[in-house]
Amino acid sequence: MLAIDDIHVSYGRLRALKGISLTVAKGEIVCLIGPNGAGKSTTLAAVAGGVAATKGHIRLEGKDLAGTRPEAIARMGVSLVPEGRHVFGTLSVAENLRVGTYMRADRGAVAADIERVLAMFPRLRERIASPAGRLSGGEQQMLVIARALLTKPRLLLVDEPSLGLAPKIVDQVYEILLEARKQEGLTLLINEQSSHRILKHADRIYVIRNGHIQLAGAAADLADGEAIKRAYFGFGEAASSDANEEEDAA
Amino acid sequence: MIGFLQNLADALSLGSLYALAALGVGLLFGILRLVNFAHGDFISIGAYALIVPSFEVTAQLFIGTWNWSLMIPAVTLIVVIVALISDALVFRPLRRANAPTLMIASFAVSYVIQNGILMVYGARPKAANLWSGLDAPILLGDLRIPLLQVVTIGVTLALMALLTLFLKRTPYGVMMRAAAEDFRMAQYLGVRGNFVIGLAFAISGILATAVSLLYLSQTGTLGPTMGVPLALFAFVATVIGGMGSLLGAVVGGFLVGFIVIMLQAYLPEDLRVFRDAFAFTFVILILLFRPSGIVPTRAFIERV
Amino acid sequence: MAPVSKSTPHASMLRRYWPLAALCAILTVLVGVGSLIGSDQLQVTLTEMLIRLIVVVGIYTFIGNAGILSFGHIGFMCVGAYAAAWATVDPTWKQMMLTGLPDFLQQNQYGFLPAVAGAAVLAGLVALVIGAAIMRLSGIAGSIATFALLAIVNSVYSNWESVTAATSSIIGVPAVVGPWVAWMFAIGALVLAYVFQVSRFGLMLRASRDDEVAAKSSGVNVVRMRLIAFVVSAMIVGVAGALYAHFLGILTADTFYLSMTFVTLAMLVVGGVGSLFGAVAGVIVVTVIVEVLRHIEAGVPLGGITIQIPQGSQEIGLGIAMALILIFRPAGLTRGNEIAFPFGRAARRKRKAAAS
Ligand SMILES: Nc1ncnc2c1ncn2[C@@H]1O[C@H](COP(=O)(O)OP(=O)(O)OP(=O)(O)O)[C@@H](O)[C@H]1O
Ligand SMILES: [Mg+2]
Repeated sequence: MLAIDDIHVSYGRLRALKGISLTVAKGEIVCLIGPNGAGKSTTLAAVAGGVAATKGHIRLEGKDLAGTRPEAIARMGVSLVPEGRHVFGTLSVAENLRVGTYMRADRGAVAADIERVLAMFPRLRERIASPAGRLSGGEQQMLVIARALLTKPRLLLVDEPSLGLAPKIVDQVYEILLEARKQEGLTLLINEQSSHRILKHADRIYVIRNGHIQLAGAAADLADGEAIKRAYFGFGEAASSDANEEEDAA
Repeated sequence: MIGFLQNLADALSLGSLYALAALGVGLLFGILRLVNFAHGDFISIGAYALIVPSFEVTAQLFIGTWNWSLMIPAVTLIVVIVALISDALVFRPLRRANAPTLMIASFAVSYVIQNGILMVYGARPKAANLWSGLDAPILLGDLRIPLLQVVTIGVTLALMALLTLFLKRTPYGVMMRAAAEDFRMAQYLGVRGNFVIGLAFAISGILATAVSLLYLSQTGTLGPTMGVPLALFAFVATVIGGMGSLLGAVVGGFLVGFIVIMLQAYLPEDLRVFRDAFAFTFVILILLFRPSGIVPTRAFIERV
Repeated sequence: MAPVSKSTPHASMLRRYWPLAALCAILTVLVGVGSLIGSDQLQVTLTEMLIRLIVVVGIYTFIGNAGILSFGHIGFMCVGAYAAAWATVDPTWKQMMLTGLPDFLQQNQYGFLPAVAGAAVLAGLVALVIGAAIMRLSGIAGSIATFALLAIVNSVYSNWESVTAATSSIIGVPAVVGPWVAWMFAIGALVLAYVFQVSRFGLMLRASRDDEVAAKSSGVNVVRMRLIAFVVSAMIVGVAGALYAHFLGILTADTFYLSMTFVTLAMLVVGGVGSLFGAVAGVIVVTVIVEVLRHIEAGVPLGGITIQIPQGSQEIGLGIAMALILIFRPAGLTRGNEIAFPFGRAARRKRKAAAS
């Protein structure tokens, strides 16, 4: 479904991605993990069209996304939940939920879908008329996920769904994502900083650090966590960073 | 007492013009972070669109002679087109630019439009008589209020109500508010950025047209920079009202109108010529005590 | 801040002040060549360009270091111009027309240099008083406050009949400023601006521009730094105003309003707000564009026909050029770089890289 091939992204002089390649097959749950500043968010933003790759290709079902605007990518069925709970603070919860539905062709189904999503997140129903900026952090996280689901995506990109949430709510969020996958054949690409929870749910895992993929594998093979830990903390740092430098110079 | 009420009516009608202009400025600022210096020139264009291009001192009405039901849409269309063209040619290529760059770009647009008007119509001010029937006063006891002031206030209230309805009740209104708050996130949700911005430019053009027609029928003169003072006071209004808040723009507009008229009425005779200096001093004072304006929008969002 | 090198103190001084020296050399050559070959018209253009250069360098001293867009500096030009004119205009005229002037100005006639000094001091004082209030504001609020300042100055100077003659211009200002006088002050402005920029104040301000929060927490008093830059820049612009008065010979307050603000800001942005080189390059490039357009406006014979563009094309052309530069070169022609030091290790490495 999604194929990222050797993309490079820079913010000014800072090179955030230095050749990331990964694939996500239809119906899969793929997880990116890595330390702060590894380039996870940048990878997701690149897929959603928020930042442009200076090199490499991103293909969605074979179609190259280079130069496509974020809204066009969204209309192709990709929805990004960025990190940092981007609710529209002065809009009500109901309005927030509706923003993403205006592009849908099946306008008739929207009302029922909103009902369904509200059934998943009863807290949101209670706050439906209040400005989203007044919600608690956890409620806002629910809102952005609900809002993304209402765009009827085929590929959902979620950036750190668990950040700042109580463990119980995190489980709830994952349950809902898994449920959505079962019901609607959703494909998921999720960022997390730590691996222990995601190992349960993900099909495959990529460990990313310093703009490079350090490790890739099926979640089942990596279940003991040792290989992930090594890739994550960069044991054998010297050797690998030397390699990077040579690559940079070339 | 009568004197004060008279002044109040003046303040309300001048404040209406400022509020309308400030809404046009505030709308674009909300979505684009653009402080649009060219808004004043959109206003000038609305007035010049009414007359035959020439260097004559007395303006010959052209579109201006049409029936109002035809004339208003025609003028509005012209201003909206100019607004959309400036977006397409200048602001669209600058989507990623920061606020100061955008501000300077709008300065350039303003400079080009002003000199364009100068090229076609000449530099001298022109007299033009639009809607002279509106000069008749309405008597309320001892109070004489020109019909034009009533119309001005009425049109302003109607436009504000329409804009509010649009923003609150229609899909495009909701998208526009979403984009104003978090443009990138709105795009991630499929909101077409350029379309929404174009819409904002169009609405801003409509508001500018309303100001130019009302203003022209009040003053009866056109000049290539006629819209500039209005736009300047409109900026001031949006800033003291709270940048990015439309309610703030309206409040700021009326407040500035009030300040200007009251200074005009109650300053000692020999200081009256310095009215604008006092008005802008007020602006600085308000900025100092409420740097984010009277109606700050972001306050409760930033708290999270 | 500067990279530590093993070279001698002299060499590192040279490297540090190289960008300044290069700019001064460029100006000198320009004025030298211009006054050797030049017609009267060229002398006038050159003088006006140098005065604008001083204005732009002054504005740059604030915007480039503090990072706040100012629309108010032409107000200081106005203040400086009038201050100097008050000093040098014939006392009999002043007693007749400017009855509100204090006695020491009304009764006496001062020389050009004291007048310029007075212009700098008055502009600096105004900046100090108003700046003390508005330098707390940053971002758009700050820009709008400087704009309000411009509007206030304009309103006062174009209406204060007994002191500025309001709309009936001050006439008879001795027109003593030509290219070489302007050149002298331009060099002075460049030196002042550059020394400020590489001074402790300048460096701290630039750091605060990039990260206000960090600068504040490291104990830098951002507001005071800004105020210093504001006053220094206002004094430079005030001097330019004095020169302009003694170049034109006649003064009206509306000379110093939106149009002048646009042209000078356009120059700064075209060159690049980030460097002194940008300020200078912008002035030169914009002047050339405007002059070329002005020539074509007047009509250029080409073959048998005369090519002419309508009145106003000059301004429209400038506006379009400015928009194009913003779009295609947002950091300006110089991209915020100073003129690079052409000798030494860094340059050699660069050349080698370019050759390979
Ligand atoms: N908008 C930006 N401008 C400049 N640099 C950025 C920007 N966004 C990210 N970076 C830099 O790019 C690098 C990768 O950032 P990214 O946000 O992708 O990391 P991440 O893996 O998501 O980290 P985290 O776990 O902390 O969210 C970091 O060095 C970061 O500082
Ligand atoms: Mg991240």
